[in-house]
Amino acid sequence: MIGQVLGHCRVVAKIGEGGMGVVYRAYDEVLHRDVALKVIKKDARLDTSSSQRLLHEARASSSLAHPNICTIHEIGESDGELYIVMELVEGKSLRDMSADAGLPPESVLRYGVQIASALARAHDRGVVHRDLKTANIVVTSDGLVKVLDFGLAKQVGSSIFEGPTRSLATLENTSSLSGTLLYMAPEILRGEAADHRGDLWALGVVLYEAASGRLPFEGRTGFEISSAILREIPSPLGPPVPPGLWAIIQRCLTKEPIQRYQRAGEVQAALEAIQSGAIVSADPGADVSLPRNTILHSVRHAHVRKGDFLLLVGTTKGAFILRSNAQRGRWEVGGPYFHGHNVYAMAYDGRAGQHRIWASTQNYWGTLLRSSDDFGKSWTNPQQAPIRFPADSGVSLKNIWQIALGRPEEPNVLYCGVEPAALFETRDAGATWSLVRGLFDHPHRARWMPGNGGLALHTIVIDPTDNQRMYVAISAGGVYRTNDGGLSWTAQNRGIRAMFMPDKYPEFGQCVHKIAMHPGRPERLFLQNHWGLYRSDNCAENWTDIANGVPSDFGFAVVMHPRNPDCVYIVPVESDEFRCACEGRLRVYRTRNGGASWEPLMRGLPQKRAYETVLRDAMTADSFDPVGIYFGTRSGQLFGSRDEGRTWGKILEGLPSVVCIRHAVVEDASGGLGATLPKAAVPAPSHQTKSVSKRKMRRTKR
Amino acid sequence: MPVTFHIPGALREFTAGRSKVEIEHSPTTLAEALSALWTLYPGVRDRIATEQGQVREHINIFIADENVRYTGGLASPVSAGSEISIVPAVSGG
Repeated sequence: MIGQVLGHCRVVAKIGEGGMGVVYRAYDEVLHRDVALKVIKKDARLDTSSSQRLLHEARASSSLAHPNICTIHEIGESDGELYIVMELVEGKSLRDMSADAGLPPESVLRYGVQIASALARAHDRGVVHRDLKTANIVVTSDGLVKVLDFGLAKQVGSSIFEGPTRSLATLENTSSLSGTLLYMAPEILRGEAADHRGDLWALGVVLYEAASGRLPFEGRTGFEISSAILREIPSPLGPPVPPGLWAIIQRCLTKEPIQRYQRAGEVQAALEAIQSGAIVSADPGADVSLPRNTILHSVRHAHVRKGDFLLLVGTTKGAFILRSNAQRGRWEVGGPYFHGHNVYAMAYDGRAGQHRIWASTQNYWGTLLRSSDDFGKSWTNPQQAPIRFPADSGVSLKNIWQIALGRPEEPNVLYCGVEPAALFETRDAGATWSLVRGLFDHPHRARWMPGNGGLALHTIVIDPTDNQRMYVAISAGGVYRTNDGGLSWTAQNRGIRAMFMPDKYPEFGQCVHKIAMHPGRPERLFLQNHWGLYRSDNCAENWTDIANGVPSDFGFAVVMHPRNPDCVYIVPVESDEFRCACEGRLRVYRTRNGGASWEPLMRGLPQKRAYETVLRDAMTADSFDPVGIYFGTRSGQLFGSRDEGRTWGKILEGLPSVVCIRHAVVEDASGGLGATLPKAAVPAPSHQTKSVSKRKMRRTKR
Repeated sequence: MPVTFHIPGALREFTAGRSKVEIEHSPTTLAEALSALWTLYPGVRDRIATEQGQVREHINIFIADENVRYTGGLASPVSAGSEISIVPAVSGG
């Protein structure tokens, strides 16, 4: 072949050989340029109509004109040889570069963005690659990626891996396909109609290989490879691969095309976000070895950046992520996540540079603890429920009511309070959870009684100054404290009434609704009981009634001011029988003297026929100055105040019943909180409501 | 003939998208058939059963048209050609 002339190209040297044909370096004697010349193998040759289609496809591909796509100049036939003239790309294949241990994450991101960009252009023009693999991707000496063979595989390979007669046996017997099979999407193996999303699967395989040097699905035979692709979940990629990149790869490798990214541009944007450091987890020790299976619905996501302020809202029908900035005046709403599931507990973990959102989900398929490292774009969906009672316990998990972070110096420690009442603990960032036996085996447990919502451990309070001390609250069991890191627990309910018991002051059995501690004064706790408001100043040794001037001492939520240990917020309800705002007037009550007196905060809150309920975890206070207070109601309204409760505005309405609200500031690179708000910058609450209602209208129109 | 499971949409994420799964060997009880199902697709197990091995409260399993709650639960007999459906109960608010 060397020295021969095909069309007007003289063959200079052989460069390589692939399934489709042999590639030569050639010289275009008319246009005076170096080109690559691919001569199609005889056994891959096409009949006349296929040849016409290949020609058509090559024309379409040649019009793509993208810096990361190898340009096809010409396709022709000469002396019985079918050939393609292409841009000559000199560099190394991504396959060769990724061999051994893979490339550094920065390189994977840099090349991944370019590959995704090339796919986006092609898909926009209706061209699907269908044979994307690391061997088809070349990186030039100056780091430019070129994707080869665009649009060719569809036609050349059609006789082999399209059509109803294809079977695994034929795949196994087709050696030229062995490289391709490793990158093939499950829907193609299932014989379903495949589209551009098959390329996004292949991109996931390419990124996995580039990041690790190995393939996500392997096997000794075609059957084993196919079986792995159809059934197995790839081994997780740990450090140095950032969790965000792993999340992107997982989403590309979701078995169902509908749950993958739907467009290459989305993958590109996600990779660029990691590249820019916007949401990358900086914690090299972060555990990413959890069994993960990303689940995604067609939901709207909030686009989170460093410095943003978030509200995590759990409802009885799913979770929402609200994004704002330090001004907290306009809100972008992400969600709903986990359609139809109860989300009783959420948490944001920004320790050790991570950005992890935790959520518990519960419906008739069971209860799971899930997490997201990309602000809700993808969530873990573990095959096996990570929180489970041991076999000898004889009980089964019903719900997770509370997710609590361990101390800042123990970033891998978290706790979950569950129903039936028990405490679980992880010391490896959620990879494994264990039942805290000291509490579960407590002799009182058999005599705890379920409250209206079930027998739940719903509150976990950690003493930040004593790493052996923590408190839990159980309905209806009361407050329990450990002073030895969870080995033993004592009931701490002295002074708390139990209206529904013959002995009004029992050792335990109280229906505690919530307790709160000020981190700067950890010996002090506030408590909202099923009837009764209390304070303890001695680590719950005894409790004092502080219901001084509240319209009702029945309620659920108790929230501490982050800086003032004398300042607490509650939302009383009328009675046990009528658990709605007193007299239909929605009022938050605040004490600024440790409970000696309480004042109603109602400016901007509905004061007529507002039969609202704020549940135990549906209120939170941020860390800004002045403090922002947020609460959600059972009727699905979300209210906020940016001036410590003086004035309020409605942030959102029409949500399912709100059961949980948490807040977070996405830390900036310096590790500091977002800018504090000067008082003058707090606009009237009506403005807040207005801007949100406009957003709601726009959302509704969509 | 194999025993066939009909997989509801919510669980197909864990069965590689399959709406039907056939168990080739011959289970004689529902418990054996389920055990074979989650050997093939482990993610299905915790969705159908509690950690104590009981079918979840609001999940119904039918062998042909019979709800197994009334035919012996996990000990319900299955035979070659049995069609087993997994269906969430009509409940909730």
